[in-house]
Amino acid sequence: MKKIPQIPPRWRGSLLGLLVLALPAPAWAHAFLDHAEPAVGSDITQSPSAVKLWFSQELEGAFSKATVSDAQGQEVDKNDAHLDANDKKLMEVSLPPLASGTYTVDWTAVSVDTHKTQGSFKFTLKLKS
Amino acid sequence: MAALGFGTVTARAHGFEAGRFFPPTIQTDDPFATDELSFPTISTFKNAGSPEVRNTSAGFEFDKEIFPKFAVGVSDDVQHLTASGQKTVTGFDNLSFSAKYQLWEVPEHEAILSVGCLWEVGGTGSKKIGADSNNVFTPTIYYGKGFGDLPDALNYVKPFAITGTVGEDIPTGGESNNLEWGFAIEYSLPYLQSEVKDIGLPHPFRDLIPLVEFALTTPENRGGGPTTGTINPGVLYETTYYQFGAEAILPVNHATGSGVGFVVQLQIFIDDIFPKTFGHALFGKDQ
Repeated sequence: MKKIPQIPPRWRGSLLGLLVLALPAPAWAHAFLDHAEPAVGSDITQSPSAVKLWFSQELEGAFSKATVSDAQGQEVDKNDAHLDANDKKLMEVSLPPLASGTYTVDWTAVSVDTHKTQGSFKFTLKLKS
Repeated sequence: MAALGFGTVTARAHGFEAGRFFPPTIQTDDPFATDELSFPTISTFKNAGSPEVRNTSAGFEFDKEIFPKFAVGVSDDVQHLTASGQKTVTGFDNLSFSAKYQLWEVPEHEAILSVGCLWEVGGTGSKKIGADSNNVFTPTIYYGKGFGDLPDALNYVKPFAITGTVGEDIPTGGESNNLEWGFAIEYSLPYLQSEVKDIGLPHPFRDLIPLVEFALTTPENRGGGPTTGTINPGVLYETTYYQFGAEAILPVNHATGSGVGFVVQLQIFIDDIFPKTFGHALFGKDQ
């Protein structure tokens, strides 16, 4: 009778790992910045009413934040960073009318599984005179 | 999430310094003491010799953070050796254990320095493939530096990062002491897109980290021979739950081998797939 090949014990756990990969995973993971408005590193000509940050995962609003600072390091946002009511992957912070200059957005994102990421980018406003 | 309140420790995991993600690299070890699982790592390369021996291997590595910023790991691989005119042999290499501690970090400069030690346990592998019967201890320094702190005039240089290791093989038998050294130079397109400038790269291109790794061994005594090693250009592809890497293996000299080999690796982000089990120290609170 033909002998059925046995999976060596050392490999069984490995195959289990591959099986786990194939299963649909819950939406838990580090939240990375997907895109933003104004876009990362962009030059814009109109003062934005808010900075919007779209992430790869849903965030925990109480522990996620974003600030906008001018070239002198002074915070210029309205200190109201919050998640969109209909999209927990979108965080936005409101802005007053801004003067021409380069601004820095600093963000901290805590995903719903407590993974924390952070980042920073700039955009430049050149108002038409 | 009802369980999340003031004082809750956020899961750390992954290798981050500020906004810089340092990916786990293939031929050299990254400087982070975090939960990691690489399986499988599959490679093939023709080693120097008379006759030359083609070594095809498949292996794994698992690392677990035990105390904050201190992790231990275990690794092994199975090797399949073929040579012209000789019998093919297959067997497991020696089991290896590691310990690593993140000693010093400066997040605003995307810099990290770690120390650790590797222990190749002699006699645990197959003699058929030539697994060493002696133990080898390798105290090691690990480092990493991202270039995000460069002036804005060098914006497109900012996505570069370098990681590397310097270790000293200390065998318990009669083999030579060796300097084990290597480094990886990587250019992170995810970093470019999210930290420097959104140039409109679509997925999956914006998820790629091209890199080149250098892995070298310099014998120091007992007739150990010349420096040997490989140069490994390739690319890492980042997703939410895993990283896939592929590199060519190029020998630095004839003493190393001939021809071009390759290595592929699947790095499973177990801290993202199982956040309640992985991504934090077993004992103590993450800092």
